[in-house]
Amino acid sequence: MNVLVCLEAPSAGRAARAALDLACTLATNTKVFVISAGGPATSAAIGLARQRAAVARIIHLDDPALDKADFMNLGLVLAHAARHVEANLVLAGERSDQEGQGLVPAAIAHHLKAHLISRVQAIVLSPAGDAVDVTARAGGQICKVSCPLPLVVTMSARTTTIAATNAASSAAVETIQLAQLGLDADRLVPRPDLLGALVPAPAGSVRTMTPEEASAALLSHR
Amino acid sequence: MASIVAYIELRQGAITRPSRFVVAEARRVADAAGATVYALLTVGTLAPSEIDRYAAEISAAGADRILCSSSESLAGPPIDGTHGPLLAQIAERLQPVLYLFPAGGTGTELGCPLAVRVGAAYLANATIDVAAEERGPETVSERVVLTRWRAARDGQRRLDLGDLERPVVASLACGPCEAPLGEPYTEVEMLRCPEPGASPQLISCELDDATASETCSAMIWSASDLDAKAKAGLPAELPAGVAMVVAGGARAPDLENTSPRELFLLSPTGGDESPPLSMLAPGSTVIQVQAGTEVPR
Repeated sequence: MNVLVCLEAPSAGRAARAALDLACTLATNTKVFVISAGGPATSAAIGLARQRAAVARIIHLDDPALDKADFMNLGLVLAHAARHVEANLVLAGERSDQEGQGLVPAAIAHHLKAHLISRVQAIVLSPAGDAVDVTARAGGQICKVSCPLPLVVTMSARTTTIAATNAASSAAVETIQLAQLGLDADRLVPRPDLLGALVPAPAGSVRTMTPEEASAALLSHR
Repeated sequence: MASIVAYIELRQGAITRPSRFVVAEARRVADAAGATVYALLTVGTLAPSEIDRYAAEISAAGADRILCSSSESLAGPPIDGTHGPLLAQIAERLQPVLYLFPAGGTGTELGCPLAVRVGAAYLANATIDVAAEERGPETVSERVVLTRWRAARDGQRRLDLGDLERPVVASLACGPCEAPLGEPYTEVEMLRCPEPGASPQLISCELDDATASETCSAMIWSASDLDAKAKAGLPAELPAGVAMVVAGGARAPDLENTSPRELFLLSPTGGDESPPLSMLAPGSTVIQVQAGTEVPR
């Protein structure tokens, strides 16, 4: 089984780091690949992958169009890349540290025609390699589900996984162009309306209360 | 007429507070924009009387119509593999302009895949403003604007529902639950749950006791157990919608899907155990409770 970890460029967020660490725990029975779309080949995300001995393959998707790609296009590209490396389990951070919407993993799952499980805490591979048992938080419960492959899972920044070792990956960084995935960069048209207009952050509202006032406010909370 | 779909989440057999809030917000938007509020209830195999009990509560919260799907495949937690096909079926049939999910992670689990599937814009932990806009001497239109923070908290994203030519999916930060807005009787339409195909199979489930903070609209934050003295001064049982978080506790909560509108700080901020302000909903208030004395009962 091939496991693909998606790290956002140029720097992987906390959730993506947790996904990478969880993937490394699966390396005994799988091949762990890391992919980062956009940014330079020397990015912090690629550097992070190189620090993990369990990582067997490091892929840098290189195209200027990726730096402006919206979540749908990024999901499309990463789904194509997952097929290209024959990955049947894809791990990603639940949401990036920047926009923080959590849509890229959903877009990968959509284009890969895979199921999506969010907020995953643990993964156990089935002996036959055709399914995985996933422990995830959902609906106020911690549930364990058996999922057919292919599968996309996301992890939150809080998820505790293994501590990183000092050993480095021996894999060289491979650079792949969109054309190698059968994609035309000119057709990746960004849709800025999907995110909405960016407006400056308003000044925060901060108040001071005496304990009596706070207690009264809490007790009258609706 | 335009449709708004509000997803109803059940936890431990009860409709969650954020779900009632989502229906109330949908009602507010629908009254301003002239739309129909559909509440979507997904349950396992239930007796009609049980469904009617839920329906009465949802109806009182402000729904015009209730769509209910009862199936063994929907008995587990809301995940896209089991619940997604039903949402897709509703999207195709009603073509709603707005889908609202309650606070607590359901937006991440169901809203993101739905947004991708229907090509919608998506906002997590958003708030809704409805404001009148004068467009001429005698023309006033209502604008429905959804706002959310970027995760980096360096700015906000705003979407005007009227300016988009695509639907919007949003999970709402939980707010105060007002008095019932509707009557406790509304027509319930039963929907057949689509066969999910090769979907994830539930093996086991246990209560996640770290989720009270996900569904709160007000949060009390204490840096460590040392502040238990102040905590002890609070009512033994906090009001509904208020959660207490101890940063230095053995089980620090997952705050990724938390978006309170009021944050009461019982400790000075600035250290490693400061609350992550990125979790706060737009328009939220931080309240520093003056140190030195206990919070009275």
